[in-house]
Amino acid sequence: MATLAPPVPDAGRSPSPAAPPPRRRHRGGSKAGKPGPVTYTLLTLVALVSIFPLYWTLVAGSHTNAEIAATPPPFLPNASLFDNFQAALEQAPIGKAILNSVLVAGSITVGTVLFCTLAGFAFAKLQFRGKGLLLGLVIGTMMVPTQLAVIPLFMMIAELQWVNQLQAVILPTLVSAFGVFFMRQYLISALPNELLEAGRVDGASTFRIFWSIVVPVARPAMAVLAMLTFLTAWNEFFWPLIALTTANPTVQVALAGLGSGYVPQRSVIMAGTLLGTLPVLIVFTILGKQIVGGIMQGAVKG
Amino acid sequence: MATVSFQQASRIYPKAERPAVDALDLEIADGEFLVLVGPSGCGKSTSLRMLAGLEEVDTGSIVIGDRDVTDSPPKERDIAMVFQNYALYPHMTVEENMGFALKLAGISKDERATRVREAAKILDLEAYLARRPKALSGGQRQRVAMGRAIVRNPQVFLMDEPLSNLDAKLRVQTRTQIAALQRRLGTTTVYVTHDQVEAMTMGDRVAVLKDGVLQQCDTPGELYDRPANVFVAGFIGSPAMNLVTGDAVDGGVQVGGAVLPVPRDQLTRAAASNGTVTVGFRPEAVRLAAPGEGLPVRVEVVEQLGSDAFLYTSLADAPDDVLHSADLVVRTEPRSGVTSGQQLWLSTDRSALHVFDAQTQQRVD
Repeated sequence: MATLAPPVPDAGRSPSPAAPPPRRRHRGGSKAGKPGPVTYTLLTLVALVSIFPLYWTLVAGSHTNAEIAATPPPFLPNASLFDNFQAALEQAPIGKAILNSVLVAGSITVGTVLFCTLAGFAFAKLQFRGKGLLLGLVIGTMMVPTQLAVIPLFMMIAELQWVNQLQAVILPTLVSAFGVFFMRQYLISALPNELLEAGRVDGASTFRIFWSIVVPVARPAMAVLAMLTFLTAWNEFFWPLIALTTANPTVQVALAGLGSGYVPQRSVIMAGTLLGTLPVLIVFTILGKQIVGGIMQGAVKG
Repeated sequence: MATVSFQQASRIYPKAERPAVDALDLEIADGEFLVLVGPSGCGKSTSLRMLAGLEEVDTGSIVIGDRDVTDSPPKERDIAMVFQNYALYPHMTVEENMGFALKLAGISKDERATRVREAAKILDLEAYLARRPKALSGGQRQRVAMGRAIVRNPQVFLMDEPLSNLDAKLRVQTRTQIAALQRRLGTTTVYVTHDQVEAMTMGDRVAVLKDGVLQQCDTPGELYDRPANVFVAGFIGSPAMNLVTGDAVDGGVQVGGAVLPVPRDQLTRAAASNGTVTVGFRPEAVRLAAPGEGLPVRVEVVEQLGSDAFLYTSLADAPDDVLHSADLVVRTEPRSGVTSGQQLWLSTDRSALHVFDAQTQQRVD
């Protein structure tokens, strides 16, 4: 009995015209996606609720203590704002604190973004022995609470005679496990291997590939990480309170000093808080524009 | 420009059961256009990546020109590669994309601009030099990827399925353009595709791979006329060659109730292993015979292409309960009047028969 030859692989046949893969496009203002009045009302409410504390800081910071305590409380800013600013600046070295905070948060942000991008790239795309174990260790450090590290850390900076110096608060947080993991996750999905291979074939060294190919691709994630890091570093209170003194504080440490008087002056505290919040607001306004994705569109056909 | 030589080159992935590329021996002449073709997972892309230096060579060696590059990084190999998804740098303009390798090589800005412009002219990209990849169509991106390769004037071009992201019409057009460009530049080219039509139309020679093993490397004509084994016979040609396997009997091979005549000495040698023989014949080598002569078949489907018609038939004496979709394919005149369900008798010229040992799968002449 004759048996017939096994079926020939499909590849042997003429190619069927493959349908082009669907393209992702941003559809602006399509009927289904258009928000209605309910959405707008809800969003407005959420925005108002979010913005109220900041507004209240402004209102309270621009009245005297007695005026805030009145019933009903004032709802509009007043002229006392600059008097309160002055009082705050006299009670605590807020000017110096802001400068210190800018230095500390700025250095930590630059360091974290650079080192986390480097490490994230290595974990995402490079092949090396012990990669899985190392990544596990990095992520594992996130499980250790800060409080646990405070005493050994303080002993170390005391040994280095860094107490009350800014490097004591900068260096320990110059790279973060979260940042490494965040950049790794982003680069795994956003950076096609072919792009790195094209770089290698074009003759680029690994560092050159990092600088000329990885960094431009990673920019949106780097901006997000920068914002998060800056905010965290700016608001950090626990460790700076231990490592620094009130003579050389960061903003949060200085603000804590404002409220520690015999009779806390709420209006002065609010004015000082407003001063301490402004730089963060400025940074957000600038970096917000960076977070426009789509830089990868068109790198590989999608 | 240079020759390329794979010498017993193998790639074994960790924890894999068998090598992805198994002792590949391949000599590519200076200026030759060689196509690596095979089904998915046959090792064609791995072979190319080994040549590019993107994949390790576990045993054996690879030589470009007179230099052993087995352990060299890609940048020392003087090669340029076109990727399937183009891999254009998204944040660079077309001009920067094409000039990046030159910039890394330390070539002056003026010279870079000149060379990029020359390449852009050849590829009709001059108007797009300031654009970013995302502002280009698929065909234009493909040309930029080509341009990035040719500005470097490398010893070898490597192309990994560069047309598979284009639509069917553009693919046929670009196919011709790439082949013409390669002839014009005269650069040794290794081209990977899974599409045998692309392989046959573009290559000076075509290397067919299966399961990491080189099956045959020959000119398109030789591959078609004298396939070395059953796999190549079935892979090259569209529609595929008809292949039937049966016991060797006096005067030929038993196919169903009929006997397909095969020359005696070929039959004897092909049946030497275990008595069964695989016989192949192309759809165009089949003639419709008078009733009662040759193989009786039933027409299942008639495919009208305008210039030809293909009859997909099954052996008439095959059991009815088995679904035989297309046992034998026959090319006929476009308007032969044959309809599905009709019974026909087929015969072939002895000279058009390809005879294989059914056990070893190798060709017997």
